[in-house]
Amino acid sequence: MARTLTFSKALNEALHQEMERDEKVFILGEDVAKMGGDFGITTGIWKRWPKRAYDTALSESAIVGLSCGAAVCGLRPVAELMFADFIGVCYDQVINNAAKLCYMYSGEASAQLVIRAVTGGGIRCAYQHSQCIEPWLMNIPGLVVVAPATPYEAKGLLVSAIRSNNPVIFLEHKGLYNSKGEVPEELYSIPLYKANIEQEGKDITLVASMSMVAFAKKAADELAKQGVSCEIVNPRTLFPLDKETIINSVAKTGRLVVIQEGPKFMGYGAEIGAMVYEDIFEYLKAPIRRVTSLDTPVPFAPVLEDYVLPHYDDVLKACQEVMAF
Amino acid sequence: MTLSQDRFIKVYEDMVLIRRFEEEVEKYSKNGTVPGFVHLSIGQEASQAGIIEALRETDYKFPDHRSHGAIVLSSRPDDRKRVMAEIFGKKTGINGGRGGSMHVNDLKVRNMGFNAIEGSTVVTCLGTAFASVYNNTDDVTAVFMGDGTLGEGACHESMNMSATWKLPILYCVVNNHYAISTHYTESHPQKQLATWADGYCVPNETIDGNDIEVVIETIERAAEHARLGKGPTLIELMTYRWQGHFSGDPAAYRPEGELESWKEKDPILVAKAKLTERGTTEAELKAIHDRVEVLIAEYVKFALESPNPDPEDGIKHVYMDIEVEGR
Repeated sequence: MARTLTFSKALNEALHQEMERDEKVFILGEDVAKMGGDFGITTGIWKRWPKRAYDTALSESAIVGLSCGAAVCGLRPVAELMFADFIGVCYDQVINNAAKLCYMYSGEASAQLVIRAVTGGGIRCAYQHSQCIEPWLMNIPGLVVVAPATPYEAKGLLVSAIRSNNPVIFLEHKGLYNSKGEVPEELYSIPLYKANIEQEGKDITLVASMSMVAFAKKAADELAKQGVSCEIVNPRTLFPLDKETIINSVAKTGRLVVIQEGPKFMGYGAEIGAMVYEDIFEYLKAPIRRVTSLDTPVPFAPVLEDYVLPHYDDVLKACQEVMAF
Repeated sequence: MTLSQDRFIKVYEDMVLIRRFEEEVEKYSKNGTVPGFVHLSIGQEASQAGIIEALRETDYKFPDHRSHGAIVLSSRPDDRKRVMAEIFGKKTGINGGRGGSMHVNDLKVRNMGFNAIEGSTVVTCLGTAFASVYNNTDDVTAVFMGDGTLGEGACHESMNMSATWKLPILYCVVNNHYAISTHYTESHPQKQLATWADGYCVPNETIDGNDIEVVIETIERAAEHARLGKGPTLIELMTYRWQGHFSGDPAAYRPEGELESWKEKDPILVAKAKLTERGTTEAELKAIHDRVEVLIAEYVKFALESPNPDPEDGIKHVYMDIEVEGR
């Protein structure tokens, strides 16, 4: 039965239900056990399973390294990186180890782990607690990058991530933690590597993920009043990307706007654009547009951060431009 | 501890086997048959053979880049030629040629392979040790490190966590004196690197890494300590690599005479002298060397005659359940 839950609570429920289902699942990270995590996502787990919840030292390399080794032994670690930016201090373990173990072991074992990483800007925490790290990971074959946008997706995708036999970086946008939505009480999963068409339309394809999905929906509502019909594609798994759904959508609409929170240069919007130009150039009715952050670190002061992060008005403007072309 | 005669003969043969293995790898690396570069452990046989001898097949082993010897000896006899084939980059290689010299692994004997970034396996090994505890088994984890490895920050995180959680880990610091060209005394303040573990309340000792009896005795003792739930130990095994960092490095950074003085402490000669003292005859020793020659010839022939991998093998196993596009 579905009821309204916050994104945070949906994640917490997914963890509880998977811990209950599979005793190979355990959690570790900084302050995840007794405190329940800096953002409260692991609340209650240590109390229920004291032998399966571990507070660690401030040692991200050890957290991810331990997770890799334990995963190869058949366990299913769910590690928390309090802020995704901290991946900088365990990057070796993520890109040189977790990403390579399946290849190294010829598929006999893999780093079947989940790294939950708290991502994104908008909470006035400046440039080392606000970054969108997905492009740092999307050039590393072997990794999986999952990015939920709603409480429903948060629960269903986390369940799939825990069950996945690949290393999954599970991005939790901190701006979404308090968002609410319908979430079934029972255990369910949402398939990885499959994009979701949030709404169908015929004039423009908007590709958006995590907190940008809300921008896309708001813009689509506004544009509908002007007689423009938007199709919204939410990749859900950013890497490996469900190219087919995006390509099919753009082939239908002939227009593409990618809304991406991180900086423009070498963001995934660039890859999606290149993919569309390579595969279905002849279907395009207008050049693609990207709405992104500026190519700067994320500043602290509200007026500065708001200036740098993507603007809703820019989404409308980009859509109007592609329609007018 | 004194080794039984049978066991001593066995480990002597192990050391001769891996010495000859490395000599052949060097030969075929220098003539261009073996692709890439190789890091040889000639001169370090007692640490390689002794550590493996002291462990069980079910113990987790993380070799490092200079561990062909430990890898060969971890493998079951029928697989040893496939280790050679892996180093040659062949389809019959134990990992299908995808990894080569630095990444040879074999999960059925819990050779967990090497992540060729120094210090990386030093944190990965926390996980196998953690799994032993989580699953209530007494399997220990041994991680091979060099003197240079200790400079990596990951070693701090690993030692701190394993000591706090009493994880069953043996940090085997094979101190061959040089991290490529830099002598360990030029990059570390400790006279002996083992004492680095004092700061983590981890028992440690420095031993003669060229005396296989000492190596086996020490590693067995540390393993027992770990099996009993008493936590990690760091063992510094003093030895010396005869070659440069990689095959082809002339090692001009070493002072004159240093290599020669270490060759007098050749682990095979040390063992041979002990065996002779025990009454082992020249004929018995020669029979060992003859047996090894037959095996080595078989490994090399297998590696040379094996086919290359199919090019498309390169796109296998990127993910467990997703196929990557080929050409």
